[in-house]
Amino acid sequence: MRISKNYRELQKITMINKNKSGQEEMVGFAIIIILVAVIFLVFLGLALNSSKEEIVQSYEVESFIQALLQFTTDCEDNFEYRSVQGLILDCSDGEICLDERDACDVLNSTLKNIIEETWKVGQERPVQGYELIINLEGEEILSLKKGNSTKESKGAKQELGIRDGEIFLTAYS
Amino acid sequence: MVDKKAQMKIQQTAFVLMAITLFFVLIGIFILVIRFSGLKESATELQEKNAMLLATKLANSPEFSCGEAFGNKKINCVDADKVMMLKENINKYSGFWDVENIEIIKIYPKLENEIICTFENYPECNLISLRSSENSGFSESNFVSLCRKTLINGKISDKCELAKIIVSYKKLQ
Repeated sequence: MRISKNYRELQKITMINKNKSGQEEMVGFAIIIILVAVIFLVFLGLALNSSKEEIVQSYEVESFIQALLQFTTDCEDNFEYRSVQGLILDCSDGEICLDERDACDVLNSTLKNIIEETWKVGQERPVQGYELIINLEGEEILSLKKGNSTKESKGAKQELGIRDGEIFLTAYS
Repeated sequence: MVDKKAQMKIQQTAFVLMAITLFFVLIGIFILVIRFSGLKESATELQEKNAMLLATKLANSPEFSCGEAFGNKKINCVDADKVMMLKENINKYSGFWDVENIEIIKIYPKLENEIICTFENYPECNLISLRSSENSGFSESNFVSLCRKTLINGKISDKCELAKIIVSYKKLQ
């Protein structure tokens, strides 16, 4: 009697242990499934996260500066109508145009008009602000700034190739 | 009894492995479906990138560039006189650039209205359109210096203005 009682108890304990190990296995499997699902969702989120298109591209700013330097102004000297690049040098040398206007004044007004027409700035516009700086022989010849500086910006620098001249333009979006 | 237990264990392991494999196969199919559903968008993106690259280098191609006609070799300089002649012979370039249309629009000095350039009104106009098709797709643009020869005070002079070259593509169907 005692032996059979013990045997029954032993069977009971074995059954309980079996159920527990079965439960443990199921829990383990479920944890693996959940982990894999979470990792999958993270990768899915990264894959579907499309990058925002930039409003101003840096090649645009670079091309703008190159085109700007070649622009023919209405400041005439004895030979020709001066380009913006030529006018920068004239401004640095304190030259005047044939019609007695100061080269720096013509340069300032020309660049201001061009930039305001091209990079229209405003709260509702894509471009929030801009900054143009022209340096020659370590000295700042001209600086134009409008609007707000933001974290997102595209800029370019162009060497004038003469007298350490350089021109910087930054557009903020 | 022991054999049956071992067989049960093997069966259990086999089922678990099958379930995991099936699960990963389903994930793989799901990922493939998501990836290939964006195929058209990727193709359009590639076309846009091509348009952008073309817009940046078109100004320096022989059909558009100023070469040395305006002094030293200029970068991003488009010869307006050359482009007007190209417009007349554009049919010979059918399929050459694989684009819907190429336009050059003068930005500064700005004209009140948009005036399409013809031989009758050139250069008192601001839009050179190489093909007269309607732009139904997307476009990429870049700044260029639009230069031409002009007669000022009886003397032939170079005149360079600020413009944008716009390359238009048809959207993929």
